[in-house]
Amino acid sequence: MPCRRRSPVTELAENPLLKGLRARRTPEPCAVAIFGASGDLTQRKLFPALYALAFRNLLPEQFAVVGVARTPMSTEEFRERMREGVQEHGRDEFRSDVWEELAAGTRYVCADLVDEQEDREVIECLNELDEARGTAGNRVYYLAVPPSAIEPIVLQLGPKRASGGWTRLIVEKPFGHDLDSARRLNEVIRSYFEESEIFRIDHYLGKETVQNMLVLRFANGIFEPIWNRQFVDHVQITVAESLGIEDRAGFYEQAGAIRDIVQNHLLQLVALTAMEPPIDFSAESVRNEKVKVLRATHTPGPKHVVRGQYGPGHVEGEEVGGYREEQGVEPDSATETYVAAKLFVDNWRWADTPFYLRTGKRLPRRETTIAIQFKRAPHPPFEVDSEEGLRPNVLLIHIQPDEGVSLAVGAKVPGQGLTIRTVHMDFLYGGSFRVGLPEAYERLILDCLLGDATLFTRADEVEEQWALVDAMVAPWKRDRPHFPNYAAGTWGPPAADELLHRDGRSWRRH
Amino acid sequence: MAQALTRDVTVRDVERELARLRDASTEPGQAPRLRTSVMTHVAWVPERWEEAATGTLAGLAERHPSRTILLFPRPDDPENRLDGDVDFRCFVRGGQEREVCSEVISLRLCGRRAAAPASVVLPLLVSDLPVFLRWRGPLPFDAPELGELLGIADRLVVDSREWPEPGRALPRLAELLGGIAVSDISWARTLPWRAAVATLWPDVRSASHLRVAGPEAEALLLYGWLRARLGRDVDLEREPAGEVELVEVDGREAGPRRVEPKTPSDLLSDQLEDFGRDPIYEEAVRRFASSPT
Repeated sequence: MPCRRRSPVTELAENPLLKGLRARRTPEPCAVAIFGASGDLTQRKLFPALYALAFRNLLPEQFAVVGVARTPMSTEEFRERMREGVQEHGRDEFRSDVWEELAAGTRYVCADLVDEQEDREVIECLNELDEARGTAGNRVYYLAVPPSAIEPIVLQLGPKRASGGWTRLIVEKPFGHDLDSARRLNEVIRSYFEESEIFRIDHYLGKETVQNMLVLRFANGIFEPIWNRQFVDHVQITVAESLGIEDRAGFYEQAGAIRDIVQNHLLQLVALTAMEPPIDFSAESVRNEKVKVLRATHTPGPKHVVRGQYGPGHVEGEEVGGYREEQGVEPDSATETYVAAKLFVDNWRWADTPFYLRTGKRLPRRETTIAIQFKRAPHPPFEVDSEEGLRPNVLLIHIQPDEGVSLAVGAKVPGQGLTIRTVHMDFLYGGSFRVGLPEAYERLILDCLLGDATLFTRADEVEEQWALVDAMVAPWKRDRPHFPNYAAGTWGPPAADELLHRDGRSWRRH
Repeated sequence: MAQALTRDVTVRDVERELARLRDASTEPGQAPRLRTSVMTHVAWVPERWEEAATGTLAGLAERHPSRTILLFPRPDDPENRLDGDVDFRCFVRGGQEREVCSEVISLRLCGRRAAAPASVVLPLLVSDLPVFLRWRGPLPFDAPELGELLGIADRLVVDSREWPEPGRALPRLAELLGGIAVSDISWARTLPWRAAVATLWPDVRSASHLRVAGPEAEALLLYGWLRARLGRDVDLEREPAGEVELVEVDGREAGPRRVEPKTPSDLLSDQLEDFGRDPIYEEAVRRFASSPT
């Protein structure tokens, strides 16, 4: 009987020496090509994240990065810029041995991807790195480019994608600008890449607390029984920024708050808050449950969506100009810098329970929170005066800046008589686990290198998000808003307060 | 930080002092500091290990906020009494407004009080949280105080490098493995070397010779591990060294990619993150115990 030779994969799987070694996730050899590499994102986020991964030995030994952009620059100049980015924005001490190892595999190609000759240079560079660095034809194409550049790059790159190893494509948000454009972009990309190869990034999903939301809900038996319409009065999700638009007028004038934040971050937070327990933590199971929520979500009508734009005001004691005075913004711009909305999730768990969302620029402080406000105790047996300081229980999930969870509970004020006050019990994430929290991009890049798409958005999720946003903005085309309608440094336009007052509720006090 | 308790204290004194320090640590008008605990960490520290244990603790408390109970046995003291210090240590994490605090209780068990440590520790354990017992120095396998403390601990943490004769102690440790989860800091130090040896598979499938330049404990653990994993006998050649410097299997050198030097505090912290048993370690120890070198 002929002896069958074992395949290398079988040999590896049978390696008894690997058993019990900590299952640290180290990806296979690969090269990452970053398109739009001369931009801020690469210097401020992507390279510091790659350095942090290298610092922890989480990158494969055979690893390379190719920066691609139209800005003329040598590889040496590119490395120098990235080194500065790592030193300025990285979370770890700068170690030259770690940096040198990363830099040795880093190249820069000045190319306009729409030009066939120039994109050949990128492919050649990647092929050379396969030889020189042993990256085995495995590729991650990272599109860190403006939305308008995604489709032309995919059309150019798609037919020439590497055929030797595996290929993954990371696409930065926003993915399209409405449902039609998102569908078209999905079609274009999927004509060259399988859905399992596409990683649509929303960096909020890489944040520890966002992931901890799933752990909080599904690893603790005490929350799920009350996580529904019977016990929850309503949910408030706030993504507040104290900054203005910085130097992003070109993008922001087109996107506004609804496309910049609501379509992706806010709706993802709604989905994670409202989703049913997945059967496991695989990419498909988690994303299936999120899509179900998004499909079930609607806004009850135009008067339940409020938009705003900031005028001059004061933020952190400093006088700041209005949106229309920002550089690059039209003096009569109708772009919204604030959105508040009431949504319903039409399913058994959440029917008739409002989800109030709000996001805005130039609000009094930077804060991202999910507040689950529970119904009041049905019959508190105390005198009315005793209860003056008592508010409903709120489970507050802080996503930034201080990641953690707090629960507001009623407690007796010590002393004679019976007076009740609300007390916050805080669980600050960093307090119990005093390890540096990884930056979102570290987690997401590593997941992509490992082929784990759980924290990335699937095509149908993106399309459901756009369908919802399209429904919210449709009435806006009919009326021109009276902007500005809130002063910088305040919590948004009065109409946003009325949105809740009509329901006998109010935004959380800050 | 305060050292308010000294001679002849009771457990009640310790609890009262902790409460007082917690109150005193909050400035008027400020948010109260949070006591955060993920475990009770009990350390048994004979006199010669006192300095090393205190040094390790300095970095540990910040990474693992917990109630730490340091037990300094003084069985030869003519008086039977308990001396104690209580620290309330607070740390500010970058970017956060509030401090997080943990507690360190240092107790000297004098005279006969050293023979019944569990009765001192039990009332001070934080309810519902796991208890890690770090035993400094050689394990006195037949001593009642070890048995008592193992009875209340969920996990025993040792460093077999601290043992004068690891070749004799490991077989005795193997007898304990059925009853309690054990972490060995020396085993943790071998991790990069084990990972490097694993990359030699499948060429080392039929290996028969292991050469280690390093401390005896690490060499013996690697020896037990390789035999257990390969399911075959291997002989060991060891050259003494302060740290593991070389591991060769059948003449093939296993080179880890980068061995990060870790402080004693980091090494202990890593062990305190493990809550489950380590079956691979247990197999390595048992395999060594079944036929020591």
